[in-house]
Amino acid sequence: MGRRVVQIHFLFLSAVVCYAMEERDSASATPRGKAPSNQSRKSYGRSRRSLGVELTNIGFTPGHLAGLRAPTSRELPKPRNLTEHVNPEQIALLVKNEWKLSYITPLYQFRHTQLKTYSKQLSAFIAAEKQQGLAVEIEADTSFRVTFSAVLGLAETEDDAETVFIQIHSRPPFAVEGDAPKVIWSGWLTCINGNPEYLRSLPSGFVCLPLFCTSGSESLTSVVKLWFEKTFDCNFGTLSLNSTCLQWLASMWTGCHPAFNIRYLKLVWNLPAQPPLDISYTIHPQDAWDLWNSIREQDSAADTISINEVESFMKGLEAHFFRHFRIYLSAGTLTKVSTTFGSAHCDGKIKFTSGDSIKHVLMLLTEYALLKMPI
Amino acid sequence: MEDLAKEVLTRIVRKIPVVKLRQVLGRWERLSERQLRSLDFTQPKWALCENLLSLCEENNITVKQLAEIEMLYRTEYPDQGIWHVFQFVDTPEETQCSDFMHFRDLFKANLKSLINHVSIQMKKLEDESVWIRIAWGENFRRPNHLKPTYVVHHLQTPYVFVSGLTNKHKPLLFQALALSAQCGSVKDVNLSGRCLSALRDLSMRQYKQVFPISHQECLQERDPLPNPNIENEHIKLTEYKQQVASEVFGDAVLPKLETAVYKLETKYREHGNENLVKKDEPFRGVVKFSSSNLLESLKYCVSSGMASAPVTPLLSSITQKGRNYFVIKDKGSGLIPNTPGPKF
Repeated sequence: MGRRVVQIHFLFLSAVVCYAMEERDSASATPRGKAPSNQSRKSYGRSRRSLGVELTNIGFTPGHLAGLRAPTSRELPKPRNLTEHVNPEQIALLVKNEWKLSYITPLYQFRHTQLKTYSKQLSAFIAAEKQQGLAVEIEADTSFRVTFSAVLGLAETEDDAETVFIQIHSRPPFAVEGDAPKVIWSGWLTCINGNPEYLRSLPSGFVCLPLFCTSGSESLTSVVKLWFEKTFDCNFGTLSLNSTCLQWLASMWTGCHPAFNIRYLKLVWNLPAQPPLDISYTIHPQDAWDLWNSIREQDSAADTISINEVESFMKGLEAHFFRHFRIYLSAGTLTKVSTTFGSAHCDGKIKFTSGDSIKHVLMLLTEYALLKMPI
Repeated sequence: MEDLAKEVLTRIVRKIPVVKLRQVLGRWERLSERQLRSLDFTQPKWALCENLLSLCEENNITVKQLAEIEMLYRTEYPDQGIWHVFQFVDTPEETQCSDFMHFRDLFKANLKSLINHVSIQMKKLEDESVWIRIAWGENFRRPNHLKPTYVVHHLQTPYVFVSGLTNKHKPLLFQALALSAQCGSVKDVNLSGRCLSALRDLSMRQYKQVFPISHQECLQERDPLPNPNIENEHIKLTEYKQQVASEVFGDAVLPKLETAVYKLETKYREHGNENLVKKDEPFRGVVKFSSSNLLESLKYCVSSGMASAPVTPLLSSITQKGRNYFVIKDKGSGLIPNTPGPKF
């Protein structure tokens, strides 16, 4: 019995995986997407119980993924000055580091009004974990101070919850009064332009902040995740960016070029040779934009870009490369995309170098986080 | 001992791993047997450094003598830092210098006449290569031993390998070299990498291309259970790909290159983007290949089909022409890698 349940569980997850990969199908014809979610609606609840996880309302809600589809077209980003809406100091925090991405399932009874309480609870939790002997690479006498803050102004729609920023400061034992505490870990949870159907269908008491970005030591990250899981009954998972996602980013950033000089478009592929071969192709921004524009002229809509255009753009670049080197770039994987706006790596790492296109990138990432979530 | 000497010694001890440091100090010959034996190489590095410092003070070791340790280490383990390859051009054949003493005296005299404060150490190794270590100074500054330039030259050849040279000192070094080797000028071969022996092999064509006789036996040997009833559908294609790979890259051990950079300045000519194709300006971009062993990776790409055969001259030029930086422009109807360097 146990075995059969696990099998159903895996079937559900694998359906999710192939479904997420089938972004090229048109939105209308996806019977495969609907069927498993219907079948496993009840079995999902059963499998969660059998795995020892507390049964929550989630198990009984209708299959959310039926409503979520990877979009085939997106709004073209118009980079606007983020400082109009968001405190520049907070933007500076977002722009500083390279962030490692994860997705989180909706948080149960998370209140934006309780941020101070959460700060105290998390500090106490970290201290307790350290006492238990958890390997945290900091001297034994260091004390931690955690701050939770809300980053207002990033949310795009009414359904989006406000972004929450967490910082862990360390205070070494012989710190002088007036010494600024050093930030040793930071992270933030966000939801930008999340799918409104999904957000409204969540049962009350749940807050959805599906994108979790962290920067700092792995041990602290796992302690923070543990606290979240215990307090809000959620689950984490790594959010790796597949090549389609990176291609969207490349196209979006290139499309911004006339308004904001991207300075270069750099794409890195990794080919599975022995030993593995990395190929990086850095394109002059004006030429990249000319290519993008020539593809776009066939399309009339000025505000949206479609997956077909993205594919043609990438195919154009790959073909130009092939003409010279006769190497099939499609034999490898696209691992990194970068411009002056920032860089994205397929292992789930992102870096923003300027506040300009943060919102659109976050919209894309929120979508991917929601798609990747198993609920 | 003066501060500069202390700093140089500290840097040396910090950089060189303990095992290798022991060997190098043994070959240095400035410390007596007793002093060498008194050093405890199991101590942490800072303690070892202090002991070494006191021993050097006993012997009144100068900075230049300390630099010998670094040079010994570098000649023994040359694969650090990036080496760039240059070549002497316009050399009249008869005057090619093959005498080390003569070259050494000429070079020292020439460089010292160009720049006042400079510290030069030269050494000839068994393989007929001349190693030069140069610490550059300025008008009012003593030579900086913390950032030396290393030059390797094989006397019978026109090639020079340089590491750690700044743009400021480049013209001085080249002029001194040109005068000492009695040639017209020094040109950039556009070849660089970490592994000195690989660069040497590539530039001097010591890398032999072994042409395969036949592949039939190889493929069949690899099949663990040869069954006459099972036929490999793609056997001819696989053999062809492997043959092409061997022809271009050879079967012997390939020289270890890490990167190849191509600066593309060709026009965009793909179908489906007519507006772009009509333009006269090039589609600019820079392609960089990198791998722990680039030529092996490329050979694998060809033999596995990721690169389609026949191999493009852009890739085969790496071994054919012995360079890894190219500027590609449109030339007539085809694509030919530009050779801004000397033709040979």
